[in-house]
Amino acid sequence: MLNEERIILMTQMASYEANEGKKNVAIGSYFRSDYIGWQVLKSIISATIAFVVVFAMYIFYDFEIFMMEIYKMDLLEFAKDVLFTYLKFVGVYALISYLVYSFRYSRARKSLRLYYANLHKLAGMYKSGRF
Amino acid sequence: MTTLLVAKQILMAIYSKYEVYITPLLKFLLALVTLLVINSRLGYMESIDKLTVVLIVSLMCSFMPMNFIVVAAAVFTMLHLYSFNLETAVVLGIGFLLMFLLYLRFSPKDTVVIVLLPICFLMKIPYVIPISMGLIGTPASAVSVACGVMVYYMLHYVVQNTTVIASMADEETAAKFKFIIDGLLSNREMVITIAAFGITVILVYIIRRLSMDYAWTIAMTAGAVVNIMVLLVGDLMFDTNVALFGVIVGTIISFLLVMVLQFFVFNVDYSRTEKVQFEDDEYYYYVKAVPKVTVARAEKKVKQINTQRTAKPVPRTRSTHES
Repeated sequence: MLNEERIILMTQMASYEANEGKKNVAIGSYFRSDYIGWQVLKSIISATIAFVVVFAMYIFYDFEIFMMEIYKMDLLEFAKDVLFTYLKFVGVYALISYLVYSFRYSRARKSLRLYYANLHKLAGMYKSGRF
Repeated sequence: MTTLLVAKQILMAIYSKYEVYITPLLKFLLALVTLLVINSRLGYMESIDKLTVVLIVSLMCSFMPMNFIVVAAAVFTMLHLYSFNLETAVVLGIGFLLMFLLYLRFSPKDTVVIVLLPICFLMKIPYVIPISMGLIGTPASAVSVACGVMVYYMLHYVVQNTTVIASMADEETAAKFKFIIDGLLSNREMVITIAAFGITVILVYIIRRLSMDYAWTIAMTAGAVVNIMVLLVGDLMFDTNVALFGVIVGTIISFLLVMVLQFFVFNVDYSRTEKVQFEDDEYYYYVKAVPKVTVARAEKKVKQINTQRTAKPVPRTRSTHES
């Protein structure tokens, strides 16, 4: 005899597993600090590459003038400026990615909690022999 | 209206029945249009400016994730630009790389906007995208829309200055770099468009989330008006020569297209709104429930009038015979 309630629940869960759940299970397998830390680290690497590319473009844009002025300018001051700009840029980007990934982690945990509750319900149905 | 609703339900039924075929088909069509547009506007590399290549890549896109279309479009663009001029390819490649490193790695769901927006620009109805994204997206969609605008204006600049860039062939690399970067960064029209579209997305999003009747329609109208206003104010301030007539007509057509979207995504009957209040141990709930407009689909039923004869003919008994 088919149990309609059980079939609906199983279909919903299978659909979840196939779509949204796949990502959430991957996220849920991490501890919060591990997941966010890893993602922020990746963001910092991305931001660093982006900064290097933009800085290279900036130098190359006025390459002749830069080469002429490089002897006159205070290199230490210039390096300090670049470093501060880099830190500001990476800091803001890391903060944004921290917020985004914290939100994603808590959303994934919430949705997984619901999924596990459904799993529990399903197991209960089998135990009570309602199939 | 009832006919439209019935048509909508039939379309939805067809889609849900043949989703396995329709989704890849739509992806295929989007990839095909995108790559054909890229080839027609930039076609500098002859080896990829062929229908067979486009068809093969589009076919690949049809069963890959949506973001693959964006990647395929970027690769096609880069190859064409590489054939045209190395410096242009490097500058635009860096632009794409920055977008990928800083935004697309968050893998937002609305990446496809980056492909759709340039196509809509060519069709003169780019305004449909920010209003739609405000309705079905999030405020973060403003960044996707901004990326799409940047891609369009970068490519537009290259197409417009093809002869100038080509004639600079003998000049130094640094001078070419400077010319291309200057052109891209000093494009005020791009900045104003990004501002207008960004404001439109956020405004439409905020209004459609409000708990008031006809929030979607009000959001769409406000978005369209604000979009025109910002573009015009930008034009007055920076003298960007925005075609006023084109903006207004484009916005009106976009508005009508978004109305079609609204019909499919959010069609509710405000006259039957119900407001209820209740509480549980932890919360008070103020719930506003707005019913969706639905009509019962007329189903064809074949009613059998002539009943089948199931009774066996009564055999004549001997007694009747005899009598």
